[in-house]
Amino acid sequence: MHTELEHQQAVARLLRELPDDAARPYDWREFQRRARAAPAAAARVAGLRALAAVIVITLAVLATAIRLGAGPRPAHPPAAPVTADNGLAPVGGDASRAEREDTAARYWLERLPREPALVHVGTRAAVETLEDHIAQVDDLLTTERAGSAPTERVRVLQQERAQLVNSLVQVRYAETLADASR
Amino acid sequence: MTRLVEITVPDEVRERACAGEEGARQLIYAEVAPATFALIRRLVGNRSAAEDVFQDTMMILFERLREFRQEAPLGAWLRQIAISRCLMYLRSPWRRVLLCLEGGDEVGAPALARPTTAAPAPEAIDLERALATLAPTARTVLWMYEVEGYSHAEIAAAFGRSVSFSKSQLARAHLKLRAWFEPQGNPPTCTLS
Repeated sequence: MHTELEHQQAVARLLRELPDDAARPYDWREFQRRARAAPAAAARVAGLRALAAVIVITLAVLATAIRLGAGPRPAHPPAAPVTADNGLAPVGGDASRAEREDTAARYWLERLPREPALVHVGTRAAVETLEDHIAQVDDLLTTERAGSAPTERVRVLQQERAQLVNSLVQVRYAETLADASR
Repeated sequence: MTRLVEITVPDEVRERACAGEEGARQLIYAEVAPATFALIRRLVGNRSAAEDVFQDTMMILFERLREFRQEAPLGAWLRQIAISRCLMYLRSPWRRVLLCLEGGDEVGAPALARPTTAAPAPEAIDLERALATLAPTARTVLWMYEVEGYSHAEIAAAFGRSVSFSKSQLARAHLKLRAWFEPQGNPPTCTLS
């Protein structure tokens, strides 16, 4: 029985005796031909490497720009219909404009997700308070209109509602900006 | 074939080659190319890749011939270059990608059938096939240690690894070769003469 050492010595001897006839290299002319072709091949490889480097750098710059820019900036919200200096909503022809602005503000709010991507405790409380107030004003408006209340009273409630909507829009817009900048 | 490490070149021929004389370079090429290619072929395995590494090695030889200090035979100096280029090839990410694409790995070439009957007679032992089953790293360590006479410390330095890496790779190579020559089910007697 042979030991491990004897086995290794036998393998080493056989390895050294292995014939190398099958491993003949090409001749001098072929070596020269390949040597002349080498610079062109190296230039091609260098060109490919340069191209790959440019692509990688471009992608890196784009990724950085997207990361810093954080994608498209959210659309600015429309102004809520608070225009009168005396705190009252405009009458007559301006009433329809106020109505359009109110619709635009409502549409803008509806486009936002019900919950922001990241819930901010401070703004969440403000949003809920404002939404509660708007709901109360809506109830009052419905009641006043059903009871044939004076136009002045309805206008005041409308004005108050518009201010609340305006505040809500501003808070939600601030939330959206904060989410986008993350 | 003379071993690469033993090949010397007359100073006069070397100086003419340094001066750029093609005839002298051709003489040096004829002298060292067979042993250099044989070594590279052993370490790299694949003939096509071996030719690339060989071309690279010989071009470096002629480019750096002026730097040769004559502290050892020219063949020994060239062997250092050749082994360095082989290890660079074996470590290259491009080669690893090719191995992945071809479904190969560092375990070696499992496609070759192992003898399943009684161990063959010594003269029938196909050591070439057995070598082909080794992983490139293990085969290189085996060749450097057993044939080229490198120490474990030198192999570790060449690979940029620890001495225990060299020892474990060598032990693994011997274990696999032994398993090849002594199929399972046979008594653990060595069939090598």
